[in-house]
Amino acid sequence: MLSMNPEKSHSLDIQLITLLDRVALADEVALRELYELSSSKLYGVAVRVVTNREWAEDVLQEAFLNIWRIAGDYKATLSPPMAWMALIVRSRGVDFLRRRNSDRADAVQELDDVISDTVAGNSPNPMDITQASEQAKALHACLSKLDNKQREVVSLAYMRDLSHAELAEQLKLPLGTVKTWIRRGLEQLRGCMSRFA
Amino acid sequence: MNLTKNVSLMEQLAASYALGTLRGGARRRFEALARNNAALRTAALLWQSRMSSVAELQPQIAPSPAVWKRIENLVNADKQAAALKAARVQAASVPAVGWWTSLGLWRGATAASALMAVVAVVTGMSAGTRVDQLTAQVTQLSGKLAATPEIQYVAVLADDKSSASMLVTFDPKTNKLVLKRVGDFKEQADKSLQLWALPPGAGPKSLGVLGNDAVIRLSATDRDVREVPTLAISLEPKGGVPVGSGPSGPVLFKGALIKTVP
Repeated sequence: MLSMNPEKSHSLDIQLITLLDRVALADEVALRELYELSSSKLYGVAVRVVTNREWAEDVLQEAFLNIWRIAGDYKATLSPPMAWMALIVRSRGVDFLRRRNSDRADAVQELDDVISDTVAGNSPNPMDITQASEQAKALHACLSKLDNKQREVVSLAYMRDLSHAELAEQLKLPLGTVKTWIRRGLEQLRGCMSRFA
Repeated sequence: MNLTKNVSLMEQLAASYALGTLRGGARRRFEALARNNAALRTAALLWQSRMSSVAELQPQIAPSPAVWKRIENLVNADKQAAALKAARVQAASVPAVGWWTSLGLWRGATAASALMAVVAVVTGMSAGTRVDQLTAQVTQLSGKLAATPEIQYVAVLADDKSSASMLVTFDPKTNKLVLKRVGDFKEQADKSLQLWALPPGAGPKSLGVLGNDAVIRLSATDRDVREVPTLAISLEPKGGVPVGSGPSGPVLFKGALIKTVP
Protein backbone atom coordinates (compact mmCIF):
# COMPACT_ATOMS: atom_id res chain seq x y z
CA MET A 1 0.00 0.00 0.00
CA LEU A 2 2.98 2.24 0.51
CA SER A 3 4.94 1.51 -2.54
CA MET A 4 4.40 3.53 -5.65
CA ASN A 5 5.58 0.55 -7.60
CA PRO A 6 6.00 -2.66 -5.61
CA GLU A 7 6.74 -4.64 -8.75
CA LYS A 8 9.78 -2.52 -9.45
CA SER A 9 11.46 -2.82 -6.06
CA HIS A 10 10.67 -6.53 -6.02
CA SER A 11 12.40 -7.04 -9.34
CA LEU A 12 15.44 -5.05 -8.18
CA ASP A 13 15.68 -7.36 -5.16
CA ILE A 14 15.58 -10.39 -7.42
CA GLN A 15 18.24 -8.87 -9.67
CA LEU A 16 20.51 -8.17 -6.69
CA ILE A 17 19.99 -11.64 -5.23
CA THR A 18 20.82 -13.29 -8.56
CA LEU A 19 23.98 -11.20 -8.81
CA LEU A 20 25.01 -12.05 -5.23
CA ASP A 21 24.59 -15.74 -6.08
CA ARG A 22 26.90 -15.32 -9.04
CA VAL A 23 29.44 -13.30 -7.06
CA ALA A 24 29.49 -16.17 -4.55
CA LEU A 25 30.83 -18.30 -7.44
CA ALA A 26 33.66 -15.78 -7.98
CA ASP A 27 32.00 -14.21 -11.05
CA GLU A 28 33.73 -10.85 -11.55
CA VAL A 29 31.30 -9.71 -14.24
CA ALA A 30 28.47 -10.14 -11.74
CA LEU A 31 30.43 -8.11 -9.18
CA ARG A 32 30.73 -5.31 -11.70
CA GLU A 33 26.96 -5.37 -12.37
CA LEU A 34 26.24 -5.46 -8.66
CA TYR A 35 28.50 -2.45 -8.20
CA GLU A 36 26.75 -0.53 -10.96
CA LEU A 37 23.34 -1.20 -9.42
CA SER A 38 24.24 -0.47 -5.81
CA SER A 39 27.33 1.72 -5.52
CA SER A 40 25.52 5.08 -5.35
CA LYS A 41 23.25 3.86 -2.57
CA LEU A 42 26.11 2.23 -0.71
CA TYR A 43 28.43 5.20 -1.12
CA GLY A 44 25.62 7.32 0.36
CA VAL A 45 25.65 4.98 3.37
CA ALA A 46 29.43 5.27 3.70
CA VAL A 47 29.34 9.08 3.51
CA ARG A 48 26.63 9.18 6.16
CA VAL A 49 28.70 7.03 8.54
CA VAL A 50 32.14 8.60 8.10
CA THR A 51 31.02 12.08 6.81
CA ASN A 52 34.11 12.54 4.64
CA ARG A 53 33.92 11.60 0.96
CA GLU A 54 37.49 10.45 0.66
CA TRP A 55 37.21 8.20 3.71
CA ALA A 56 33.88 6.98 2.39
CA GLU A 57 35.59 5.83 -0.81
CA ASP A 58 38.00 3.73 1.25
CA VAL A 59 35.06 2.29 3.16
CA LEU A 60 33.14 1.49 -0.04
CA GLN A 61 36.19 -0.22 -1.50
CA GLU A 62 36.72 -2.30 1.63
CA ALA A 63 33.03 -3.19 1.78
CA PHE A 64 32.99 -4.41 -1.83
CA LEU A 65 36.02 -6.59 -1.31
CA ASN A 66 34.16 -7.95 1.70
CA ILE A 67 31.03 -8.58 -0.39
CA TRP A 68 33.20 -10.34 -2.99
CA ARG A 69 34.51 -12.70 -0.31
CA ILE A 70 31.32 -13.40 1.64
CA ALA A 71 28.55 -13.12 -0.98
CA GLY A 72 27.78 -16.79 -0.33
CA ASP A 73 26.64 -15.87 3.19
CA TYR A 74 23.75 -13.80 1.84
CA LYS A 75 21.67 -16.93 1.24
CA ALA A 76 21.53 -17.61 4.97
CA THR A 77 19.89 -14.27 5.76
CA LEU A 78 16.32 -13.12 5.27
CA SER A 79 17.30 -9.47 4.80
CA PRO A 80 16.57 -7.54 1.65
CA PRO A 81 19.80 -7.70 -0.40
CA MET A 82 20.40 -3.93 -0.35
CA ALA A 83 19.98 -3.88 3.44
CA TRP A 84 22.47 -6.74 3.76
CA MET A 85 25.06 -4.91 1.67
CA ALA A 86 24.34 -1.58 3.38
CA LEU A 87 25.05 -3.22 6.75
CA ILE A 88 28.42 -4.40 5.49
CA VAL A 89 29.21 -0.83 4.44
CA ARG A 90 28.02 0.47 7.82
CA SER A 91 30.20 -2.03 9.72
CA ARG A 92 33.25 -1.16 7.63
CA GLY A 93 32.47 2.54 8.19
CA VAL A 94 32.13 2.15 11.95
CA ASP A 95 35.41 0.17 12.03
CA PHE A 96 37.06 2.88 9.99
CA LEU A 97 35.96 5.59 12.41
CA ARG A 98 37.13 3.61 15.43
CA ARG A 99 40.53 3.06 13.87
CA ARG A 100 40.79 6.67 12.87
CA ASN A 101 39.51 8.12 16.12
CA SER A 102 42.01 6.13 18.10
CA ASP A 103 44.74 7.63 15.88
CA ARG A 104 43.57 11.21 15.79
CA ALA A 105 41.58 13.00 18.46
CA ASP A 106 40.86 15.97 16.18
CA ALA A 107 39.02 13.75 13.70
CA VAL A 108 36.27 13.29 16.27
CA GLN A 109 36.00 17.03 16.59
CA GLU A 110 35.51 17.53 12.85
CA LEU A 111 32.84 14.89 12.89
CA ASP A 112 31.07 16.37 15.90
CA ASP A 113 30.74 19.70 14.13
CA VAL A 114 29.17 18.15 11.07
CA ILE A 115 26.66 16.22 13.13
CA SER A 116 25.78 19.07 15.50
CA ASP A 117 25.04 21.23 12.49
CA THR A 118 22.66 18.62 11.10
CA VAL A 119 20.68 18.34 14.31
CA ALA A 120 20.79 22.02 15.26
CA GLY A 121 19.57 23.09 11.83
CA ASN A 122 16.43 21.03 12.36
CA SER A 123 16.46 20.33 8.66
CA PRO A 124 15.36 16.83 7.84
CA ASN A 125 18.24 14.72 6.64
CA PRO A 126 16.87 13.58 3.32
CA MET A 127 15.77 9.98 3.09
CA ASP A 128 15.78 8.22 -0.21
CA ILE A 129 13.34 5.45 -1.10
CA THR A 130 14.44 4.76 -4.65
CA GLN A 131 15.91 1.25 -4.61
CA ALA A 132 14.44 0.67 -1.14
CA SER A 133 12.86 -2.67 -0.26
CA GLU A 134 9.23 -2.92 0.89
CA GLN A 135 10.46 -3.12 4.46
CA ALA A 136 12.48 0.05 4.00
CA LYS A 137 9.49 1.85 2.56
CA ALA A 138 7.44 0.93 5.62
CA LEU A 139 10.20 2.18 7.90
CA HIS A 140 10.44 5.35 5.85
CA ALA A 141 6.73 6.00 6.30
CA CYS A 142 7.07 5.60 10.07
CA LEU A 143 10.30 7.60 10.41
CA SER A 144 8.67 10.42 8.45
CA LYS A 145 6.14 10.83 11.28
CA LEU A 146 8.87 11.55 13.86
CA ASP A 147 10.19 15.01 14.74
CA ASN A 148 13.25 15.84 12.69
CA LYS A 149 15.43 15.74 15.79
CA GLN A 150 14.12 12.41 16.95
CA ARG A 151 14.51 10.93 13.52
CA GLU A 152 18.03 12.25 13.18
CA VAL A 153 19.14 10.92 16.57
CA VAL A 154 17.65 7.47 15.93
CA SER A 155 19.17 7.34 12.48
CA LEU A 156 22.60 8.46 13.72
CA ALA A 157 22.58 6.07 16.67
CA TYR A 158 22.03 3.23 14.24
CA MET A 159 24.25 4.29 11.35
CA ARG A 160 27.23 5.14 13.54
CA ASP A 161 26.58 2.59 16.29
CA LEU A 162 26.60 5.20 19.04
CA SER A 163 25.54 4.89 22.68
CA HIS A 164 23.37 7.50 24.43
CA ALA A 165 26.49 8.98 26.02
CA GLU A 166 28.41 9.12 22.73
CA LEU A 167 25.45 10.77 21.00
CA ALA A 168 25.12 13.33 23.81
CA GLU A 169 28.80 14.13 23.59
CA GLN A 170 28.87 14.42 19.82
CA LEU A 171 25.65 16.41 19.59
CA LYS A 172 26.54 18.59 22.60
CA LEU A 173 23.19 17.81 24.16
CA PRO A 174 22.35 16.77 27.72
CA LEU A 175 22.33 12.99 28.15
CA GLY A 176 18.72 13.11 29.40
CA THR A 177 17.57 14.88 26.24
CA VAL A 178 19.17 12.27 24.01
CA LYS A 179 17.65 9.44 26.03
CA THR A 180 14.21 11.04 25.84
CA TRP A 181 14.37 11.64 22.09
CA ILE A 182 15.47 8.09 21.46
CA ARG A 183 12.85 6.58 23.76
CA ARG A 184 10.03 8.62 22.25
CA GLY A 185 11.28 8.01 18.76
CA LEU A 186 11.33 4.26 19.33
CA GLU A 187 7.90 4.28 20.98
CA GLN A 188 6.40 6.01 17.97
CA LEU A 189 8.20 3.74 15.55
CA ARG A 190 6.95 0.73 17.46
CA GLY A 191 3.32 1.83 17.19
CA CYS A 192 3.69 2.72 13.53
CA MET A 193 5.63 -0.37 12.45
CA SER A 194 3.17 -2.72 14.12
CA ARG A 195 0.73 -1.80 11.37
CA PHE A 196 3.00 -3.38 8.79
CA ALA A 197 3.30 -7.11 8.46
CA MET B 1 8.73 -8.39 37.00
CA ASN B 2 8.02 -10.84 34.29
CA LEU B 3 9.30 -9.12 31.21
CA THR B 4 7.70 -11.47 28.75
CA LYS B 5 4.20 -10.71 30.07
CA ASN B 6 4.73 -7.01 29.36
CA VAL B 7 4.51 -6.93 25.59
CA SER B 8 5.17 -3.23 25.11
CA LEU B 9 8.24 -3.26 27.37
CA MET B 10 9.48 -6.32 25.54
CA GLU B 11 9.07 -4.52 22.22
CA GLN B 12 10.73 -1.38 23.51
CA LEU B 13 13.77 -3.32 24.73
CA ALA B 14 13.96 -5.27 21.49
CA ALA B 15 13.92 -2.02 19.51
CA SER B 16 16.68 -0.49 21.71
CA TYR B 17 18.67 -3.69 21.38
CA ALA B 18 18.40 -3.54 17.57
CA LEU B 19 19.16 0.17 17.48
CA GLY B 20 22.29 -0.47 19.54
CA THR B 21 21.54 1.94 22.36
CA LEU B 22 20.89 -0.88 24.83
CA ARG B 23 24.38 -1.34 26.23
CA GLY B 24 26.45 -2.95 28.96
CA GLY B 25 24.75 -5.08 31.60
CA ALA B 26 21.28 -4.34 30.26
CA ARG B 27 22.28 -5.66 26.86
CA ARG B 28 23.79 -8.82 28.32
CA ARG B 29 20.68 -9.49 30.42
CA PHE B 30 18.49 -8.95 27.36
CA GLU B 31 20.58 -11.40 25.32
CA ALA B 32 20.45 -14.02 28.08
CA LEU B 33 16.65 -13.72 28.27
CA ALA B 34 16.23 -13.79 24.50
CA ARG B 35 18.21 -17.01 24.19
CA ASN B 36 15.66 -18.72 26.40
CA ASN B 37 12.55 -16.98 25.23
CA ALA B 38 11.25 -17.38 21.71
CA ALA B 39 8.90 -14.38 21.82
CA LEU B 40 11.68 -12.02 22.92
CA ARG B 41 14.07 -13.51 20.39
CA THR B 42 11.50 -13.05 17.64
CA ALA B 43 10.95 -9.43 18.61
CA ALA B 44 14.71 -8.78 18.61
CA LEU B 45 15.20 -10.36 15.20
CA LEU B 46 12.25 -8.49 13.75
CA TRP B 47 13.62 -5.17 15.00
CA GLN B 48 17.10 -5.96 13.78
CA SER B 49 15.65 -6.52 10.35
CA ARG B 50 13.56 -3.33 10.49
CA MET B 51 16.50 -1.24 11.66
CA SER B 52 18.71 -2.57 8.90
CA SER B 53 16.48 -0.65 6.52
CA VAL B 54 17.67 2.65 8.06
CA ALA B 55 20.80 2.03 6.02
CA GLU B 56 18.70 1.50 2.90
CA LEU B 57 17.13 4.94 3.25
CA GLN B 58 20.34 6.93 2.93
CA PRO B 59 20.51 9.32 -0.02
CA GLN B 60 22.41 8.14 -3.08
CA ILE B 61 25.75 9.71 -4.01
CA ALA B 62 27.74 8.55 -7.02
CA PRO B 63 31.29 7.52 -6.05
CA SER B 64 34.26 8.50 -8.19
CA PRO B 65 35.03 6.04 -11.02
CA ALA B 66 38.46 5.43 -9.45
CA VAL B 67 36.80 3.40 -6.69
CA TRP B 68 35.72 0.63 -9.06
CA LYS B 69 39.25 0.47 -10.54
CA ARG B 70 40.67 -0.04 -7.07
CA ILE B 71 38.11 -2.73 -6.24
CA GLU B 72 38.82 -4.50 -9.52
CA ASN B 73 42.56 -4.60 -8.80
CA LEU B 74 41.99 -5.94 -5.30
CA VAL B 75 39.59 -8.59 -6.57
CA ASN B 76 42.12 -9.71 -9.18
CA ALA B 77 44.83 -9.98 -6.54
CA ASP B 78 42.41 -11.92 -4.36
CA LYS B 79 41.63 -14.35 -7.18
CA GLN B 80 45.31 -14.92 -7.87
CA ALA B 81 46.06 -15.60 -4.23
CA ALA B 82 43.18 -18.10 -4.11
CA ALA B 83 44.37 -19.83 -7.30
CA LEU B 84 47.91 -20.15 -5.98
CA LYS B 85 46.63 -21.52 -2.70
CA ALA B 86 44.44 -24.07 -4.49
CA ALA B 87 47.39 -25.09 -6.67
CA ARG B 88 49.46 -25.66 -3.56
CA VAL B 89 46.83 -27.71 -1.81
CA GLN B 90 46.51 -29.85 -4.92
CA ALA B 91 50.27 -30.13 -5.34
CA ALA B 92 50.63 -31.49 -1.82
CA SER B 93 49.19 -34.81 -3.00
CA VAL B 94 51.23 -34.98 -6.22
CA PRO B 95 54.44 -37.01 -6.51
CA ALA B 96 57.64 -35.21 -7.37
CA VAL B 97 58.37 -34.44 -11.00
CA GLY B 98 61.25 -36.90 -11.10
CA TRP B 99 59.85 -38.90 -13.97
CA TRP B 100 59.67 -35.81 -16.09
CA THR B 101 63.20 -34.86 -15.46
CA SER B 102 64.57 -38.27 -16.29
CA LEU B 103 66.88 -37.71 -19.16
CA GLY B 104 66.41 -41.07 -20.82
CA LEU B 105 62.83 -40.45 -21.79
CA TRP B 106 63.64 -37.43 -23.86
CA ARG B 107 66.77 -38.79 -25.45
CA GLY B 108 66.30 -39.69 -29.03
CA ALA B 109 63.06 -37.85 -29.48
CA THR B 110 62.49 -36.19 -32.83
CA ALA B 111 61.26 -32.70 -33.43
CA ALA B 112 58.20 -32.04 -35.49
CA SER B 113 55.86 -34.81 -34.47
CA ALA B 114 56.99 -34.73 -30.85
CA LEU B 115 56.13 -31.11 -30.65
CA MET B 116 52.76 -31.76 -32.22
CA ALA B 117 52.16 -34.65 -29.85
CA VAL B 118 53.08 -32.70 -26.77
CA VAL B 119 50.94 -29.77 -27.81
CA ALA B 120 48.10 -32.19 -28.49
CA VAL B 121 48.42 -33.57 -24.98
CA VAL B 122 48.46 -30.28 -23.23
CA THR B 123 45.68 -28.80 -25.32
CA GLY B 124 43.35 -31.42 -23.92
CA MET B 125 44.22 -30.68 -20.35
CA SER B 126 42.12 -28.63 -18.01
CA ALA B 127 43.50 -26.07 -15.61
CA GLY B 128 45.11 -27.53 -12.55
CA THR B 129 45.99 -30.84 -14.17
CA ARG B 130 48.07 -32.88 -11.80
CA VAL B 131 51.57 -33.81 -12.75
CA ASP B 132 50.82 -37.52 -12.45
CA GLN B 133 47.85 -37.26 -14.85
CA LEU B 134 50.09 -35.37 -17.21
CA THR B 135 52.70 -38.08 -16.87
CA ALA B 136 50.22 -40.85 -17.69
CA GLN B 137 49.05 -39.05 -20.79
CA VAL B 138 52.55 -38.43 -22.02
CA THR B 139 53.52 -42.04 -21.41
CA GLN B 140 50.99 -43.07 -24.04
CA LEU B 141 52.81 -40.88 -26.48
CA SER B 142 56.26 -42.04 -25.63
CA GLY B 143 56.29 -44.15 -28.77
CA LYS B 144 55.82 -41.12 -30.93
CA LEU B 145 58.29 -39.17 -28.89
CA ALA B 146 60.89 -41.88 -29.33
CA ALA B 147 60.63 -41.48 -33.08
CA THR B 148 61.10 -37.70 -33.09
CA PRO B 149 64.81 -36.90 -32.70
CA GLU B 150 64.69 -33.18 -33.35
CA ILE B 151 63.21 -31.89 -30.09
CA GLN B 152 66.44 -30.97 -28.46
CA TYR B 153 65.35 -29.47 -25.17
CA VAL B 154 62.41 -29.91 -22.85
CA ALA B 155 61.56 -28.39 -19.48
CA VAL B 156 58.61 -28.59 -17.13
CA LEU B 157 58.47 -25.48 -15.00
CA ALA B 158 56.75 -25.96 -11.67
CA ASP B 159 55.99 -23.78 -8.68
CA ASP B 160 57.64 -24.37 -5.33
CA LYS B 161 55.14 -27.14 -4.58
CA SER B 162 55.99 -29.11 -7.74
CA SER B 163 52.73 -28.28 -9.44
CA ALA B 164 53.41 -28.14 -13.18
CA SER B 165 52.61 -24.75 -14.65
CA MET B 166 54.48 -24.43 -17.92
CA LEU B 167 55.76 -26.89 -20.48
CA VAL B 168 58.70 -25.65 -22.56
CA THR B 169 60.18 -27.22 -25.68
CA PHE B 170 62.87 -25.95 -28.01
CA ASP B 171 62.90 -26.73 -31.69
CA PRO B 172 66.23 -25.83 -33.33
CA LYS B 173 64.75 -26.25 -36.82
CA THR B 174 62.46 -23.28 -36.39
CA ASN B 175 64.52 -21.60 -33.67
CA LYS B 176 61.45 -21.39 -31.47
CA LEU B 177 60.87 -21.94 -27.81
CA VAL B 178 57.30 -23.10 -27.38
CA LEU B 179 55.67 -22.58 -24.00
CA LYS B 180 52.36 -24.11 -23.03
CA ARG B 181 50.51 -23.04 -19.92
CA VAL B 182 49.30 -26.12 -18.07
CA GLY B 183 48.36 -24.73 -14.64
CA ASP B 184 45.58 -22.30 -13.85
CA PHE B 185 47.90 -19.45 -13.04
CA LYS B 186 46.89 -16.17 -14.65
CA GLU B 187 48.87 -13.00 -14.17
CA GLN B 188 47.06 -9.72 -13.43
CA ALA B 189 46.35 -7.41 -16.33
CA ASP B 190 49.17 -5.08 -15.28
CA LYS B 191 51.76 -7.85 -14.98
CA SER B 192 53.74 -10.01 -17.38
CA LEU B 193 55.55 -13.29 -17.01
CA GLN B 194 59.16 -13.30 -18.20
CA LEU B 195 61.23 -16.37 -19.10
CA TRP B 196 64.85 -16.55 -17.97
CA ALA B 197 67.79 -18.83 -18.69
CA LEU B 198 69.87 -19.39 -15.57
CA PRO B 199 73.35 -20.25 -16.88
CA PRO B 200 75.88 -21.45 -14.29
CA GLY B 201 78.26 -18.75 -13.11
CA ALA B 202 76.38 -15.91 -14.85
CA GLY B 203 73.35 -13.75 -14.22
CA PRO B 204 69.87 -14.65 -15.51
CA LYS B 205 69.42 -14.02 -19.21
CA SER B 206 66.01 -13.01 -20.52
CA LEU B 207 64.53 -15.29 -23.16
CA GLY B 208 61.46 -13.15 -23.61
CA VAL B 209 58.21 -11.87 -22.18
CA LEU B 210 55.15 -14.14 -22.33
CA GLY B 211 51.89 -13.05 -23.88
CA ASN B 212 48.52 -14.11 -22.51
CA ASP B 213 47.91 -16.95 -24.96
CA ALA B 214 47.81 -20.55 -23.82
CA VAL B 215 50.64 -21.40 -26.23
CA ILE B 216 53.47 -18.90 -26.53
CA ARG B 217 56.26 -18.95 -29.11
CA LEU B 218 59.50 -17.11 -28.44
CA SER B 219 62.41 -16.83 -30.86
CA ALA B 220 65.62 -18.33 -29.53
CA THR B 221 68.78 -19.84 -30.89
CA ASP B 222 70.56 -22.99 -29.87
CA ARG B 223 73.16 -20.75 -28.22
CA ASP B 224 70.50 -19.35 -25.84
CA VAL B 225 69.67 -22.74 -24.38
CA ARG B 226 72.93 -24.65 -24.76
CA GLU B 227 74.67 -25.35 -21.44
CA VAL B 228 71.70 -23.86 -19.55
CA PRO B 229 70.68 -26.24 -16.76
CA THR B 230 67.65 -24.30 -15.52
CA LEU B 231 64.84 -22.09 -16.79
CA ALA B 232 62.76 -19.82 -14.59
CA ILE B 233 59.72 -17.56 -14.94
CA SER B 234 59.37 -14.38 -12.93
CA LEU B 235 56.43 -12.04 -12.39
CA GLU B 236 57.25 -8.61 -13.76
CA PRO B 237 55.55 -5.31 -14.57
CA LYS B 238 53.56 -5.33 -17.82
CA GLY B 239 55.95 -5.78 -20.75
CA GLY B 240 58.79 -7.15 -18.64
CA VAL B 241 61.90 -5.52 -17.20
CA PRO B 242 64.04 -3.18 -19.33
CA VAL B 243 66.49 -4.92 -21.67
CA GLY B 244 69.73 -5.73 -19.92
CA SER B 245 68.41 -5.85 -16.37
CA GLY B 246 67.75 -8.98 -14.36
CA PRO B 247 64.41 -10.16 -12.92
CA SER B 248 62.80 -7.68 -10.52
CA GLY B 249 59.81 -9.71 -9.37
CA PRO B 250 59.46 -13.08 -7.63
CA VAL B 251 60.35 -16.33 -9.42
CA LEU B 252 57.07 -18.21 -9.73
CA PHE B 253 58.10 -21.27 -11.74
CA LYS B 254 61.34 -23.05 -12.28
CA GLY B 255 62.58 -26.28 -13.80
CA ALA B 256 65.52 -28.18 -15.25
CA LEU B 257 66.13 -27.85 -18.97
CA ILE B 258 66.84 -31.28 -20.35
CA LYS B 259 68.75 -31.93 -23.53
CA THR B 260 67.03 -34.76 -25.36
CA VAL B 261 69.81 -35.39 -27.88
CA PRO B 262 73.16 -36.33 -26.38
